[in-house]
Amino acid sequence: MSKLPEKPISAEALTAQFMRLKRGSVSRRHFLGVTGLGLATAVLGRTGSFSLEAHAQDLGSQMSLATWPNYHDPASFEAFTAKTGVAVEVNVFGSNEEMLAKLQAGGTGWDLFVPTNYTISTYAKLKLIDPLDLSKLPNYSAKTETARFTQEGVIDGQTYAVPKNWGTTGMAINTDKLKTPVTSWKDFFELAQTEADGRAMVHDYQLTTIGSALVSLGYKFNSVDPAELAKAEELLVKVKPHLFAINSDYQPAMRATDAWMTMCWTNDGAQLNRDMPEIAFVLGKDGGEIWSDFYAIPSSAANKAAGYALLDFLMTPENAVKEHIANGAPTTDSRVLALLPTEVTSNKIVYPDEAALTPLEFGAAVTLTDPARAEVMARFKAA
Amino acid sequence: MATRAGTRHRFVTAALAAPAALWMLVFLVLPFVAMLVFAFGRRAPEGGYLPGFTFEQFLNLPARAAAFGNTLMLAPAGALLCLLVAYPVAYYLAVKAAPRHRLVLVSLIVVPFWTSLLVRTYAWMYILGSRGLPNLLSTIGLPDLRMLNTPGAVLVGIVYGYLPLMIMPIYVSLEKLDRRLLDASADLGARPVSTFLGITLPLSLPGVMTGVALVTILLLGEYLIPQLLGGGKVFFIGNALVDLFLQSRNWPFGSAIAVTLVLVVVVVLTVAMRIAWRFAGTRRVDLV
Amino acid sequence: MTAAAVNDIEFRSVSKRYGEVLAVSGIDVAVPKGAFVALLGPSGCGKTTCLRMIGGFEQPSEGTVLIDGQPMNGVPPYRRPVNMVFQHYALFPHLDVEANVSYGLRQRRPRIERREVAKRTAQALELVRLGGFAKRRVHEMSGGQQQRVALARAIVNRPAVLLLDEPLAALDRKLRTAMQIELQSLQRELGITFLLVTHDQEEALSMSDYVCVMNAGQIVQMAPPQEVYDRPRTLFVADFVGKTNRLSGTVEAGGTTLRLGDGRALPVVAQTPGAVTAVLRPEAIRLDRGECSERMDALGGTVTHRIFLGNAVEYAVAIDGLGEMLVTADRSAARDPAEPGERVNLSFKPESLLVFPA
Ligand SMILES: Nc1ncnc2c1ncn2[C@@H]1O[C@H](COP(=O)(O)OP(=O)(O)O)[C@@H](O)[C@H]1O
Ligand SMILES: [Mg+2]
Repeated sequence: MSKLPEKPISAEALTAQFMRLKRGSVSRRHFLGVTGLGLATAVLGRTGSFSLEAHAQDLGSQMSLATWPNYHDPASFEAFTAKTGVAVEVNVFGSNEEMLAKLQAGGTGWDLFVPTNYTISTYAKLKLIDPLDLSKLPNYSAKTETARFTQEGVIDGQTYAVPKNWGTTGMAINTDKLKTPVTSWKDFFELAQTEADGRAMVHDYQLTTIGSALVSLGYKFNSVDPAELAKAEELLVKVKPHLFAINSDYQPAMRATDAWMTMCWTNDGAQLNRDMPEIAFVLGKDGGEIWSDFYAIPSSAANKAAGYALLDFLMTPENAVKEHIANGAPTTDSRVLALLPTEVTSNKIVYPDEAALTPLEFGAAVTLTDPARAEVMARFKAA
Repeated sequence: MATRAGTRHRFVTAALAAPAALWMLVFLVLPFVAMLVFAFGRRAPEGGYLPGFTFEQFLNLPARAAAFGNTLMLAPAGALLCLLVAYPVAYYLAVKAAPRHRLVLVSLIVVPFWTSLLVRTYAWMYILGSRGLPNLLSTIGLPDLRMLNTPGAVLVGIVYGYLPLMIMPIYVSLEKLDRRLLDASADLGARPVSTFLGITLPLSLPGVMTGVALVTILLLGEYLIPQLLGGGKVFFIGNALVDLFLQSRNWPFGSAIAVTLVLVVVVVLTVAMRIAWRFAGTRRVDLV
Repeated sequence: MTAAAVNDIEFRSVSKRYGEVLAVSGIDVAVPKGAFVALLGPSGCGKTTCLRMIGGFEQPSEGTVLIDGQPMNGVPPYRRPVNMVFQHYALFPHLDVEANVSYGLRQRRPRIERREVAKRTAQALELVRLGGFAKRRVHEMSGGQQQRVALARAIVNRPAVLLLDEPLAALDRKLRTAMQIELQSLQRELGITFLLVTHDQEEALSMSDYVCVMNAGQIVQMAPPQEVYDRPRTLFVADFVGKTNRLSGTVEAGGTTLRLGDGRALPVVAQTPGAVTAVLRPEAIRLDRGECSERMDALGGTVTHRIFLGNAVEYAVAIDGLGEMLVTADRSAARDPAEPGERVNLSFKPESLLVFPA
């Protein structure tokens, strides 16, 4: 009945999906954590070891990076290896919680990783990361960074982490399927029980799912107030039977039009909208999340020199531009912004108007460690 | 002399058993002891483990009652459904198929096992997704069906994923079955159905029990299939464990659940074996 | 055909092919009611195949098998009034002795009352002298006991015909002899037809009313044991059912003289003239010590071996100009046995010389 030709899954689509899986690029965060596939690793090229620079011997021959799936330009690592002779092993993860769990358990072997803003204070408190030696990062430019996105990397005047990019958590809506306009999280949860019955998805991620439910009820995104959490749980449990899925891997379902509406991160929203223009990306006017991802070096890192070298390499504006184009998330660095093509900078999904960002909140550290939020999420999933 | 030979014999036995014993110790006993210790501790404020001795974790078990309930329902149901599909296949392979085709047919069942279950389960996401079977069915006029992300889809995934594990032991026990026993039964006046119920089935029970036990135990820890085909809405105890260890980092509570799960497995298995033996009649079937 | 059939089993031009192999080739045979028939032949000659066609496990490629006058084409095993004692018994390993034996009764529809089943089972077990073994697992029984369980399991059903496929082959010699006697008396007691397959001629001859000799998928002779032994229809039968001494020669015109290669002439009972092979059984020969006479039918020679058989003595005698012959003498007749190296004189009655066209 829809405009979209609904043919059974084609061979190409299936192959594409397998390739996605192979690359470990099943969309961000929680999904991989839950499926335990965050262990997927890849060692990228060892080519070019003959054209080493003078300091190469200090860097060893290998290093390890922990990051998110589909979050980098593979060419960046190849270029880094060609330049330094250091092969980069990439470990992808599904959630901040999972990264923290791994670092707490010890023995990760990571030399560089990509935590999200609200987790950094916890890492520092647990001494899982050390302050960065900025003298080893000549290409990092604090003064061209947007303060709003850098502030959580700085604790007591010490820089523990430097930003990679920022983003938001909004809603992706298939406007062919859903005619009622959605502008808020309140709309989202209502529609999920009515017009989008059986077609809506929420993340398998406490921060955004509980946070958005709280926002829809008029509470703060980061609330840990027991009464407010109880209300949010009540709402989520009521909505659950109407949901299509609780899953952070929402791209396949949205593309297959199995799902018509989902919680969605900026970069996924941009990709979905690029390929299927009928999928709109909307920020809640009642609130929601704004975030930034950082680079940090674990205190347990075995090859810190290589960690610094890769970080500095990625901070170089020319390299950061490639990363930006590969993952689609907005930059925090004005030097990078200046180098971007206008079709990227004018994309309202990637760079929304400032007014749309005003109601959004950054995730708070307390949500990461608060057992009550974890339990609300668990009860919701088990309900 | 006899004692010397005896000592040597004992030494050889010990030497032969040592690798297995070590394996058991390192991979089974030690983790279980660690789990037991954790289970009586407390969660540290930022997650992990704080030493202690408290029953708090066990008292909190009802918070995962739904997950236990789902698992204890769906694991045996999945195993049983698996059995219903696997038995005819195994029977066909072992009894009806021409011996020269057998190897090929058995390979066809085993070969998919070489690719990751994840990839094969993903294929099911497409088949059950709205562009798959439901779309096909709607072209012949059936109403729009939601198949993906339902308990039914999880069961389909379970049956599909665990089928070879169920088929193989049953196949092996049916293959060993002496065909002359079937002739003898028919000779004594038994119709094919009676022969099947009186001879074939009881003699393949060791395979059936092995298969059911294997699949049930593995299903008690399953989390991937419910996650992918249940859309995260069908929550197994395995999913609860993954969340507790990898998300909320509540090791003590996770350990308490794991310990409880192990106990449940032991109880379930014991009860299942008892029932199976009773079903097989007072004359016990030799296992192996 | 309301009149009771005379024959329990009848084969009408029955052939059985397994792909290329012709296992049974155009057999016509009838097994009379109440008889004990032995189907005798070398391994691979098609005996089991015949039995399996009667049991219904195989369908003839051509021809018809009749049981009690009824054609059995397409009748499945479980509807045939025969029971089989399988080679290697095929006892149900998961059932105890009693459950094995009562299996057939429990398949009957309408159902037989439980007490009746128990009673008949006990009777059958008594009959094979396994009274106290009802609750034993079959693998706890000896070979001979298993054999009797298999028997009881079959006869408890009171079949019209009991088929036995090499039932004694796996038993040791002493047990086998005892079982032969038991089987014979069992058959008399029950009064049902027994069709027993064996490749052991002694077994066939000692137990049965009729011996049916098979070779290469065909029936060569069916007759009472005495007749098969004394008047074998072919050289094959003569060879298969007992020991033989072979002599090649020509029956001369007149038909009463057999001229051997070396010119010797032996008296025979009237035969068609021509080239023949004659067969003489070792026990039909009389052995006298001493130098041989000059008569043309005399067979003089020297003892080369003497084999003590317990109840008899077997001699190998090198006949002058003819080769070696076997002679069996009663021990009583040989109280003073000839020694190896001693000269002896062999003689026989003309009617004991079996003559077959060459
Ligand atoms: N199921 C079968 N498939 C192919 N050939 C067979 C089969 N059963 C028997 N034969 C062949 O038929 C012939 C007769 O076999 P069988 O009746 O078992 O002989 P016997 O019992 O006299 O030893 C043999 O050559 C045997 O190889
Ligand atoms: Mg045979």
